[in-house]
Amino acid sequence: MTAPAGSLLTADALRKAYGPTVALDGAEFSIHAGEVVAVMGPSGSGKSTLLHCLAGIVTPDSGSITYNGREMATMNDAQRSALRRSEFGFVFQFGQLVPELTCVENVALPLRLNGASRKAAEQAALTWMERLEVDDLRKKRPGEVSGGQGQRVAVARSLVTDPRVLFADEPTGALDSYNGERVMELLTDAARSTNAAVVLVTHEARVAAYSDREIVVRDGKSRDMERVV
Amino acid sequence: MGVRFAFAGGREGWIRATLTAVGVGLGVALLLLTTAIPNALAQRHDRGDARTDITYQETPIPKAADTLLVGSAGTTFRDMDIRGRLLEPEGPRAPLPPGLDEFPAVGEMVVSPALRKVLESADGKLLRERLPDRITGTVSQDGLVDPSELTFFRGGADLAARGIDGGTIARIDRFGDPQPSTERTDPVLLLLILVVFVVLLMPVAVFIAAAVRFGGERRDRRLAALRLVGSDSRSTRRIAAGEALAGAVLGLLLGAGFFLAGRQLAGSIVVWRVSVFPSDLNPSPALVLLVGLAVPAASVLVTLFALRRVVIEPLGVVRTAKPARRRLWWRLLLPLAGLAMLYPMVGQGRDGGDFNQYLVVGGVIMLLVGVTTLLPWIVEAVVGRLGGGGVAWQLAVRRLQLSSGMAARMVNGIAVAVAGAIALQMLFAGVESDYTKDTGYDVTRAQMQVTIREEVPLGQASEKFRQTEGVREVYAYSEGYVGERRKDAQLTSQVTVGDCASLREVAHLPSCRDGDVFTVRGADYDTDTAKIAKTGRTLYFDTSFTNGPKGAEIPWVLPSELKRAQARTDPTGWKRGGLLLTPKAVPAAAAPALDGQLYLGLDETVPDVADRVRNTAAAMDSLSEPMVWHSAEQTDRFTAIRTGLFVGAACVLALIGASLLVSQLEQLRERKKLLSSLVAFGTRRRTLSLSVLWQTAIPIALGLLLASVVGLTLGAVLLRMTDTTVRVDWPSVLSMTGFGAAVVLVVTLLSLPPLLRLMRPDGLRTE
Repeated sequence: MTAPAGSLLTADALRKAYGPTVALDGAEFSIHAGEVVAVMGPSGSGKSTLLHCLAGIVTPDSGSITYNGREMATMNDAQRSALRRSEFGFVFQFGQLVPELTCVENVALPLRLNGASRKAAEQAALTWMERLEVDDLRKKRPGEVSGGQGQRVAVARSLVTDPRVLFADEPTGALDSYNGERVMELLTDAARSTNAAVVLVTHEARVAAYSDREIVVRDGKSRDMERVV
Repeated sequence: MGVRFAFAGGREGWIRATLTAVGVGLGVALLLLTTAIPNALAQRHDRGDARTDITYQETPIPKAADTLLVGSAGTTFRDMDIRGRLLEPEGPRAPLPPGLDEFPAVGEMVVSPALRKVLESADGKLLRERLPDRITGTVSQDGLVDPSELTFFRGGADLAARGIDGGTIARIDRFGDPQPSTERTDPVLLLLILVVFVVLLMPVAVFIAAAVRFGGERRDRRLAALRLVGSDSRSTRRIAAGEALAGAVLGLLLGAGFFLAGRQLAGSIVVWRVSVFPSDLNPSPALVLLVGLAVPAASVLVTLFALRRVVIEPLGVVRTAKPARRRLWWRLLLPLAGLAMLYPMVGQGRDGGDFNQYLVVGGVIMLLVGVTTLLPWIVEAVVGRLGGGGVAWQLAVRRLQLSSGMAARMVNGIAVAVAGAIALQMLFAGVESDYTKDTGYDVTRAQMQVTIREEVPLGQASEKFRQTEGVREVYAYSEGYVGERRKDAQLTSQVTVGDCASLREVAHLPSCRDGDVFTVRGADYDTDTAKIAKTGRTLYFDTSFTNGPKGAEIPWVLPSELKRAQARTDPTGWKRGGLLLTPKAVPAAAAPALDGQLYLGLDETVPDVADRVRNTAAAMDSLSEPMVWHSAEQTDRFTAIRTGLFVGAACVLALIGASLLVSQLEQLRERKKLLSSLVAFGTRRRTLSLSVLWQTAIPIALGLLLASVVGLTLGAVLLRMTDTTVRVDWPSVLSMTGFGAAVVLVVTLLSLPPLLRLMRPDGLRTE
């Protein structure tokens, strides 16, 4: 596949197998800055593996991934980690907040990992927590807040470094519909305001509705729904 | 339901149950091993008694068809003692020593398996020179105290001609100690034994308590969830007890398996020269029953005790909220109670005073258990005040603030072991002087002593040793006594014969040439010489005594010129007195009445110099036992207890290391997803590794600090009990805490590969 002009992140002919299980079998992907792309598909179709490959968390067996014109395969582990730290943001289904840190410390964590001082990092974290309407939880630990609140804290954490690409893996999977929609609104609004691209893995159509474009993954192969339609 | 919980839950449930069972199993195996030790020691002792041969006998046994002549021919190779016997049956019914099928003929030798291995190794070449006989058989277990014992039996001839003295050569008609000793153990040594046992067993108990709590955090959350959906406190406790019981029972089975496997292995393991036959390791059924009942009971009690928060505050447990602060007051009660139990015995250790064994054991247990109750409070109190630092520090401190219990539990075992070891080291160091004798030997002048049989000319023997590689100096003396009459002499004087150079090592001589005789003044314990050393007087070598063997009674007239010499400390450490004779002054007939003594100065840089000397000596006399001099020596029992402590401490530290590793891996496994997600958003592995290290290092540092305080306190109390001056043995304290820290370091290093594996971001795949 030839990457569409101006793509921020593209993947071509990705293959990834875990033992005898083939998770990706020639998958393709592209996304522009400021675009929200939903990756859909049934459970076990390979959508999370696609997200992990795109984010440089998992190395594909073959195929290529290019970020901002740079081939990911040429980067070593440390460079990929640095990329994830500074350019990418992540939201997982269960938030994966560090249980022993307070909410504000959790949000500030990516900045601190980038070398920011505690004070500056927590100041920036509070700004994002205010935007996501969870600033009143700053001193609480993740175990003391509700699922919806925790997920908003996780979204704040994913955006605090002003990432260029935000990876969200079933971000509303553990939430009720009200909280799920609220989280999606806040997430997409915040991402668009910073011109961040969002790779949104979901199997829910109402969540996918927040995206600009949908890609369906089935049996490890991807299909761009815009082109089909 | 609890039993189902223990094993259900798929792979994770099984892993948790297996970890608990392995942990409990290791503890049970060590307990069984400990309970088997008394029996193993008794078996060793019995076999040792059963083969006793050379003892003093009031009534000499006449030669008969059922008598055997036994000669003591033991030797030493490097620093290994070798038991050796020459056997000369005097009739067809002579008793066979235990472990032998037949007597070795002259030129033949039956050896223990361990000695055979040494003799057949390249390293044993020097020893083979000393024991050149053909090996015709192997000593069986009946004749050995342990599998690593080095022993041999050689065929002997003409032993009676050497003189049956009951010391080197004896005539016996049976093996076995005719008068077994019933020695009462010194109360201070008894105290040491009791404390060693408690100190070694306490960490095992603490370890078992920690093992039944493996996977405890997740288990607590599960039980709290059950409580939230309606399970009452009693049924929650029952479920938890069932779960703990299942793990403990599986652990008991595994422990029995480990013990049986370890028992087989024990035969081939030598720790600090101690080994045991597998068949000796039989714990008494009552103790096995006790372990079988106590371990499950303890595991249930520990679980129920740890369940307080689940029952009282289930919501907090489910949501991993910060737990309530620990209370200090009841945690202080235990160590204070321990001190109160020990205090009444202060000062009783001297003059045969007794210690109440129950109070000693109870007090030491209370003090050491106090470490395990105080440590969680201290860790919580200290980490609660910590802040600042980098991300790794912050992650570690916050983790400890939220859940310090697991960390404290991990450290408890090592803290108890270190506290006990510090106390024991202090006690050992304090009473060491009572059990260590200064030998008085001047090891700067001579390092070995060889006694030469009268048949071997001293000059010839000296020459042979001079030619031995590594021998620098040879001081040769012939020694004997003279009396003022042939029989029943009332006044006696020691006679030392040597050349002028040798005599100058034992006294200050005015001048000296061959033929001179000196009387020595200023000697230790010599009152008779001045009375009998008169010129022209006749004295007798080898006098006779009524009811004693008849001596040669060789007359010797003191020469007209007796020179005076001033005593000086000789190489053996005393100022010898009597008469000093140069060789020409000795009447020829007196030579057989004198024993040859050689003191050898060695060049200790020559490898195996002591064994070269032993080989030279053995070539002249197979019964000679050259002695290596040490400046100090310890009583056997004290050394045995100290060895026991080292062996036990090695086992306990290995066990604690294993427990730490299991706990560490279990903790990491529980955090696998979190670690993966942190790595996913770019956290450096170094940061996470460092945070794990801090997480262990902080409680370890606090644990070792507490262990030092409790150890020093216990040590001081024990020293006061033995009425010994309290003196802190800082090198021991530092080495013990260093030892504890080293175990942690090794465990951390061993847990790094799995940690790095768990940090792989593809751990998110299960997400």
